[in-house]
Amino acid sequence: MASLRSCLFLLTLPLLAQDAGLEHFEKKVRPVLAQHCYACHSGNVKMGGLDLQTGVNVSSFVVRGDPQQSRLYSAVTYGEKVKMPPSGKLGAEAIASIREWIGLGADWPNAPVTAEKKLTTNHWAFQPVRNVVPPKVKNEAWVQTNVDRFVLAKLEAQGLKPAGAVSKLALLRRVTYDLTGLPPSLEEIDAFLKDESKQAYAKVVDKLLASPRYGERWGRHWLDVARYADSTGMDEDHIYPYAWRYRDYVVNAFNADLPFNQFVQEQIAGDLMTGPERKQERTVATGFLALGPKPLAQQDRIKMIYDVVDEQIDTVSKALLGLTVSCARCHDHKFDPILTKDYYGLASIFASTQSFRNLGRPGSVSYLYNAPLDAGEYGMYQAHRWRTYSKRIELEDAAAEDATRENLLLRPKIAEYLVAAWKAQHLKKPTAALAEELGLERRLLDRWVDLAKKDADYWRTWREATEETIAAVAKNYQITYDATATKWDTQLSNWRRRYAQEVAADRDLPERPKFDGKDNSFFAATTFGGPMELTDSPRVAQLRAEYAELERTMPAEPAMASAVTDGPSIQQRIFTRGDHLNPGEPVGKQFLTVMTPKQPHDIKGSGRMELAAWLTDRSNPLTARVFVNRVWQGHFGEALVRTANNWGTTGEKPSHPELLDYLATQFVEQGWSVKALHRTILLSNAYRMSTTVAPEAKQADPSNRLLSRFPRARMSVEQIRDSFLVLDGSLDGALGGPMLPSGKMKRPKVEPDDMTRRTLYIPVRRGSIPTVLATFDYGDATTSSDGRPRTNVAPQALFMMNSKYVVEHAKGFADRLLTDESLTDSSRIDRAYLLALTRKAEPQEVDRALSYIASMAQKLGGNDARAKAWQSFCHVLMSSNEFVFLP
Amino acid sequence: MPLPRKIPRRALLRQSGAGFGLLGLRGLFGAEATNPLGLKNPHFAPKAKRVIFLFMHGGPSSIDTFDPKPRLVTDNGKPVPFKRGLTFGEDAVRGLMKPLWDFKQHGQSGIPVSSLFPNVATCADDLCVLRSMVGDGVDHGAALLQLHTGVFSFKRPSMGSWMLYGLGTENQNLPGFITIKPSLGHGGQNNWSSSFLPSDYQGTAIGNSGMKVEEIAKEPVPYLISKGLPAEHQRYELDMLQNMNRKHASANDHDPELEARIGAFELAFRMQVKAPEAFEVDRESEATKKLYGMDDEVTRDFGWQCLLARRLSERGVRFVQCSHSYKWDQHSELQKLHTKNAAEVDKPIAGLLKDLKARGLLQDTLVIWGGEFGRTPWAQGNDGRDHNPYGYTMWMAGAGVKPGFVYGATDEFGYHAVENRMHLHDLHATVLHLMGLNHEKLTYPFAGRNFRLTDIAGSVAHGIIA
Repeated sequence: MASLRSCLFLLTLPLLAQDAGLEHFEKKVRPVLAQHCYACHSGNVKMGGLDLQTGVNVSSFVVRGDPQQSRLYSAVTYGEKVKMPPSGKLGAEAIASIREWIGLGADWPNAPVTAEKKLTTNHWAFQPVRNVVPPKVKNEAWVQTNVDRFVLAKLEAQGLKPAGAVSKLALLRRVTYDLTGLPPSLEEIDAFLKDESKQAYAKVVDKLLASPRYGERWGRHWLDVARYADSTGMDEDHIYPYAWRYRDYVVNAFNADLPFNQFVQEQIAGDLMTGPERKQERTVATGFLALGPKPLAQQDRIKMIYDVVDEQIDTVSKALLGLTVSCARCHDHKFDPILTKDYYGLASIFASTQSFRNLGRPGSVSYLYNAPLDAGEYGMYQAHRWRTYSKRIELEDAAAEDATRENLLLRPKIAEYLVAAWKAQHLKKPTAALAEELGLERRLLDRWVDLAKKDADYWRTWREATEETIAAVAKNYQITYDATATKWDTQLSNWRRRYAQEVAADRDLPERPKFDGKDNSFFAATTFGGPMELTDSPRVAQLRAEYAELERTMPAEPAMASAVTDGPSIQQRIFTRGDHLNPGEPVGKQFLTVMTPKQPHDIKGSGRMELAAWLTDRSNPLTARVFVNRVWQGHFGEALVRTANNWGTTGEKPSHPELLDYLATQFVEQGWSVKALHRTILLSNAYRMSTTVAPEAKQADPSNRLLSRFPRARMSVEQIRDSFLVLDGSLDGALGGPMLPSGKMKRPKVEPDDMTRRTLYIPVRRGSIPTVLATFDYGDATTSSDGRPRTNVAPQALFMMNSKYVVEHAKGFADRLLTDESLTDSSRIDRAYLLALTRKAEPQEVDRALSYIASMAQKLGGNDARAKAWQSFCHVLMSSNEFVFLP
Repeated sequence: MPLPRKIPRRALLRQSGAGFGLLGLRGLFGAEATNPLGLKNPHFAPKAKRVIFLFMHGGPSSIDTFDPKPRLVTDNGKPVPFKRGLTFGEDAVRGLMKPLWDFKQHGQSGIPVSSLFPNVATCADDLCVLRSMVGDGVDHGAALLQLHTGVFSFKRPSMGSWMLYGLGTENQNLPGFITIKPSLGHGGQNNWSSSFLPSDYQGTAIGNSGMKVEEIAKEPVPYLISKGLPAEHQRYELDMLQNMNRKHASANDHDPELEARIGAFELAFRMQVKAPEAFEVDRESEATKKLYGMDDEVTRDFGWQCLLARRLSERGVRFVQCSHSYKWDQHSELQKLHTKNAAEVDKPIAGLLKDLKARGLLQDTLVIWGGEFGRTPWAQGNDGRDHNPYGYTMWMAGAGVKPGFVYGATDEFGYHAVENRMHLHDLHATVLHLMGLNHEKLTYPFAGRNFRLTDIAGSVAHGIIA
């Protein structure tokens, strides 16, 4: 993501002399003018005829090269009568910048920023995918699939031999974790060991690919690329309540082997695609665009929208094209053939796409757009909501009308009733006679008298009044009552107006105000439940009942998705230096010039359909390549192009360019089938190599770019955490579904330690990534990930040693071993090794383990010493390098 | 001595891919190749070795605390006579409102401090008051993010992470960047994240603003306290583990990654033994606790934070943040709640300054005080003030800054900074400078370009440097 005026490379690049002034102007002077001067010197205003946005008439205010003689300069230095800006003198730095700019010649950038560049590139990534013939190799016997030819040819060219084959069980462990993220079960181990056929391994691969656990593992890879999370991340970190549907969509897409081109199309434009099948899934798919980080409280709404647009461009371009298109927000890309015009061509598409339902009231947050999954059901729901709210408005208006009328009669008589009540209490006069005598209602007077029996502070003055003073005292009560009543009436009527406004605008509805009893307890006691309380008229009572019935019968909110939809089509302008306050030339909806021989011209709507088609066109040199590279990365830990999200000139070149093109070609020819791609890679001999290799190969290929061996890899946090659930048998294998409690809780608590669902299902708030995930390189779910780093740091060791999670699952694992009566202690050790490490324990390992358990039990003592010693042994196995590093 | 740890290959590539040799990073990188948290040479001689940032979340009002404005007294109640910038509560703007507290000059320097901070006022001669702070964020989320990371729309590394990246840490048994009781709102973790910097530079949160001190003290750092075995047995268990690990490593060519993980366990065990002591604030003398106001319920929480900050700084933690969170956002009830807020922090802050000074720590510890913005000179509603990022006050004390000094000024209403404007970028540039780092050279390559804490802006405020 590019910050607004800042996607500038910071190396000092040699600048042509005449450019220095302009560069300086855009960097240092323009921002000052935009912030402090545009309000009066641009657009329609142009005070003094001076337009500091376009530069019109600037020449009359500056003397090129001579700040001291320039009126502009003397104005900003407050040197003469005219002092600009009037709101306050600019900072020393800003003034110095203006001085420097005038000194450099006061050049105004006249050249339109959209100047056509002739775009040609010979950068490899933009060249078409070649249909490569797999090379010949010397050691034909090593070749299992064509993938091996590419790998072996490279090694042979260096005179190297590939590593030997990994052991059978290690291969099973490798491929099972790779495809499902879980360890192989005892049955799977047994079956594979027994199967001596040539197809044994291929059968395992097929079985794993068919497991729903496959989608959970590989869907997670894509969720990293899609910077998936369950909240907006910025300001109050608002929940995306329906994010989980997108997560499940991704898992299901992998499980169903949805062709990757269709997968891409649905995520970009699923809501616009026609046809009845997968209608809901297609809407959910656009969560890819909708679920990014968003600053909902940003008060500059235009900036907010374009920051979201930028985020979408950044994610789409990195995730699908491996390009950093966002760098072109403020200027043409410094390294890659990507124009600012291209950026705003794409911005035009996303700015014509709605991510917000409503921009909210000033001072509050904007509302996200959510798509209903069943239009009919949603229509009914909305209609019911509108009826309910309208009824409430009607009810409140009617009640207010009644109240106004009644209060007009009742309120002026408060003093009279207070005097009468005083007489009733102090002079013991019967209320009937008093009412008669004073022309008051007896029933009402009785209520006043009742209330006056209350021993409350506000009665004190009244109670202490004498026959002489009671009239004046009552008057005072009347005055304070009236003052509070007026305020309260206004508060209520403001609320009614605001309520109606918010209903009309479809925003959060304000709560009916509650009177704060502390403000005036006399008012509170008399008005709410006291003599001044009004009873509902028949009309109001009727409305109240109708409203209550509507509320009671309000249907639950129908299924919704975090999604996008087409908004009004925007005529986008290029924002000079990325500043939305500084719009320049108009630009049409378009794609990256360098990859698009013919730009589209008659786009209707947002253009996302066209974008989806362009992304998945066979001639697009990047989409297929970028994805097969990610799949390779998933299997081998390192990608062929190791900068998986940056294929530009500052990215890395592929280690095996021909292999990359071969895989991309195969992928598209096999109907973009991801599972077919997995098979192509997994059945190769390269995938079945050992992690250790002859020293000379290691020396010649220290970083393993030639793939002389299989790279050893530390498990991901999901693999580690899920394994523990499997080891003690506590894994809840349910697929998908919501995990956050529903309702509008601000920061619902979900404790990962207590969850037995797979790690994939832990809700992730961008503002507080669960500690266990953050500890193990999960990343921040904020930008498209190019793969997780795999660190080995002390906080991870602390997690292994001390977390409640590991300790409890070690106990569970030990219990599982101990409660199996059919086992002896030494076969328990065997079992533990098989379950945790997918191998049999060596005899001396069994001995060592048993003696460790015995001496630990002795150290611990007590009744549960044996159980605790076994728990400690399990804890050791689960923390071991052999467990955490996959073979 | 921690064992060498491999830096993530990808980070290495990003560096080399972007022309690493040109970036002046060689010095940094040389150290990083062995231990990313190892001590690194600064760019030049530093004035400050560590930072304590006292963050007043919500935005305390400058014109009621450290920036007196007589004009507001004379014009109290009059309509706002100038053009207002983007504000939060547009519909509740009222007339100008005078400061609700009296100002007095304090110390030899005569720095004015309002009656809200009677204890801090006694340290006036140590303060370097920055009255011309400027930020870009009008809402809390944006303002917090910019204060902590330099940008207000996107996630970027926090200033503490940059310092750790630039300088490493002096105590390998403690995290080098610690934030005590931070708020989970307004960006939450984004405010102490290492973002694209390696995760070694991530801030470590000690509890959060919603937690009680007692609760936090039980396990200040995640997973620091053993849940299972007592320490001696745990060591025995660890020996078994390391034994297995070493056998495994020697069967696997002593892969450096395997060795690194073996080292990580030893370091973790050491941390577990050594680190809790740093958090045992209770071990301080009664006099010290009293100095920080820990004997009073009102000041106990922030007193604990400040005293913990001192203990951590003393032990070489590079960047410690205390948060008074999220208290200072008085859109209404300014009188009542600013009084309450100030009472909670005033004594602890003064205690911290005095204690640091007495221990000789203030000379190389930079203390920074401030919120994410100030508040408006006009009233919002009857008795509140709105957000004002256009001109507000922060202060510094200690290492390398002029004591008893006032820098910059706002206009006569205290709305815009007009003299020696100090944008947050400038603040960051200046703090890095004090730490011996050139903000233009402290860069990290990410997504095809080099990033800095100060983005493309920032200049060092040399005027405040002693």
